[in-house]
Amino acid sequence: MTVFTCEDSPDAMLTCIYDAWDSRLGHRNIRLMLEPLYETELFCSYRHIDADSEKAGKVVRSIQKKISPGAWRMVYRCAMSSNPEKLEIIYRFLLYGFAYGSPALQMLQEPAVAAFFELDRRTGNEAHRFMEFIRFVSFPGDVLVSHISPKSDVLTLTAPYFSDRLPSEHWIIIDDTRRTAAVHPRDGEFYLTRLSQEEFDRLSAPAREDDPYPDLWKGFFRYISIKARENKRCQRGFLPLWMRKHVTEFEP
Amino acid sequence: MEVKQNDLSLQEKLNILADAAKYDVACTSSGVDRRGKKGSLGNSLSAGICHSFSADGRCISLLKILLSNDCVYDCKYCINRVSNDTVRATFTPEEICTLVTEFYRRNYIEGLFLSSGVVKNPAYTAELMYRTIFLLRTRYHFNGYVHVKAIPNAPAELIQELGYLADRMSINLELPTGESLRRLAPHKSPSSILRPIAQIQSGIENYRLSIGKERKMERHRTNRYLSGTIFDTAANPQLNSRETAGLLPPHTETPARIPPARGSGSGPLPAVREGKPFVPAGQSTQMIVGAARETDFQLLTASQYMYQIYDLKRVFYSAYIPLNEDPALPSADTAPPLLREHRLYQADWLLRYYGFQASDLLSEDRPSFNVLLDPKCDWALRHLELFPVEISRADYSQLLKVPGIGVKSAMRIVSSRRTAPLSFEHLKRMGVVLKRAKYFITCGGKMMYRIPIEENFITRQLVGEDRKTAWELEHPDSYRQLSLFDDFHFHVQPQPDDLMKSATGQL
Ligand code: SF4
Repeated sequence: MTVFTCEDSPDAMLTCIYDAWDSRLGHRNIRLMLEPLYETELFCSYRHIDADSEKAGKVVRSIQKKISPGAWRMVYRCAMSSNPEKLEIIYRFLLYGFAYGSPALQMLQEPAVAAFFELDRRTGNEAHRFMEFIRFVSFPGDVLVSHISPKSDVLTLTAPYFSDRLPSEHWIIIDDTRRTAAVHPRDGEFYLTRLSQEEFDRLSAPAREDDPYPDLWKGFFRYISIKARENKRCQRGFLPLWMRKHVTEFEP
Repeated sequence: MEVKQNDLSLQEKLNILADAAKYDVACTSSGVDRRGKKGSLGNSLSAGICHSFSADGRCISLLKILLSNDCVYDCKYCINRVSNDTVRATFTPEEICTLVTEFYRRNYIEGLFLSSGVVKNPAYTAELMYRTIFLLRTRYHFNGYVHVKAIPNAPAELIQELGYLADRMSINLELPTGESLRRLAPHKSPSSILRPIAQIQSGIENYRLSIGKERKMERHRTNRYLSGTIFDTAANPQLNSRETAGLLPPHTETPARIPPARGSGSGPLPAVREGKPFVPAGQSTQMIVGAARETDFQLLTASQYMYQIYDLKRVFYSAYIPLNEDPALPSADTAPPLLREHRLYQADWLLRYYGFQASDLLSEDRPSFNVLLDPKCDWALRHLELFPVEISRADYSQLLKVPGIGVKSAMRIVSSRRTAPLSFEHLKRMGVVLKRAKYFITCGGKMMYRIPIEENFITRQLVGEDRKTAWELEHPDSYRQLSLFDDFHFHVQPQPDDLMKSATGQL
């Protein structure tokens, strides 16, 4: 068994897929895994693959052409997932995709296809929930700042949506876990960036005291609930506790 | 208790006017796609977005408030009725606009749901609402979702103008029979409710025709694969007069049909503005469940009727919560009939997505839903002669009638059985709920187990399962989460307002 390994970035994963495919070792004799590897097995040989944007680009174009543009969007979403098996799941789907073309997307009887769909659905759902539950805090200079701690890397999956929605606002969405941020200047395009410790600290200051809207919102949130129908379990099911971390109305 | 308006802070007003608005259930933002644009604030997604969930487990999508809880009417069931002694508050249009835009920027909400008590008189109130929405759209450049209530008896011109600014409008039917309306809402009449509904319907049709769409609202795309749905038969409703006896009469004086634009509005209403969206997300209504004597059959028939005659986008149901002591109302310690409400939502889904008619599910002789079984199981057990269906051959509409198979799994079966035969294991992976479906299907000619297709036997098996859901619904403090993703097997994200009622059995 040969194990192809790479770091957790789209380019590296796509390159890894390219090299694994190209190795002609037989699909049954290989596995694809993300680094860091926590334990290695005795009878496997490991090959580390570095990102190569040319090979990555080729894989993207083949997926778009041989399967469909929609399949590429799914692969991208899956690549943003927090599931450590994602690379292997994507690869196993692509075997069907390249063999059958777009009809592979109908072959849900196949466990490999079903697993890929499931991963896509989960990542898509998580991204969707952040569109809903992201909260901005107003910073001096009319800048809206949001902190999130998602499991998946949802920044590039949510930022385009906020660009459309708040085109004439300055806003920043910060992924606290990865220390990355999507930055959107008023009337401009958003871009991704890594934050230095200093920037991060500055943007983590507590909310302004003179901003009345968080309290107004909390009041609304309390009064809109109907006592006779109270159902905290149901509320927890829809809005799990771990997602409430940066959500204004659940702040103490 | 007299409290001067200007003694109230903005926070107090907001609390009072949210508190007074919370019994309206339609807090959805769905039905219209609109891109954002530079210089404006907001966009709209047709799938709808839910921003939070309140302690009662309901989705919060919109800033749902009353413009005022002052009211000169005296609807018996309403907390704001003139005969109640409560603190009254009224927002200024600017206060509402600021709240909407500042909440929206912080991503608390999708937009505004604005309703109101009748302040002074309907015309005065409608004028205030119009001013508010007009300011919000023009001066505050708000491009997000707006749902406005039409005030009964408001002037037609104002309703028309509001229609050009709002995404959705609604007027609550509350009580679907003329008799209950007279008893419980003495200031409203059937025509004060149905006239504006018909007017908005005609506005929507004119707009749709002017941009080259079909007259009727689009329905879920899977309805195309069904025949005889309530939407096909809408032109010629299959409701006989016995079924609709006592229900509100259709509004007969057709509002002047406005010829598509071309200037001179000679009718009573301003001319259609060619291509200018008019209530693009459609209109909805709400009925109270359990305030008066209406049966489930009457309520569901009324819904079908509203979908067919008035092309409503949605009908919502609201379990009656006693707020006032009144001899005309159920006693104040009545628990909200949450299970009835739940069954009505399930049945409503069956009308809109599964090709059922109200009369398939209930009848005059059997006017109430089965407490123990969801309406689809109940129907299937009364039609055992149609089962089992063979998975490799049954068409989409037959598959949909099987308990445990939803819209999504039926579509998946139809598309994937082309490439390879399906087994029970495959069905399970596609989201079919086998513990229900197994009594009603064969795969390659075989049933999953040797099960007698016998009504009493199957009923006993299924009831055990649904009893749990029913019990949990009646005891909301301990009920588990049920997700619509699992229950309805949809491709599309369910809309937030559906999510909140997703406490459904697998249909
Ligand atoms: S019109 Fe009737 S339902 Fe509406 S606020 Fe007044 S009393 Fe309440």
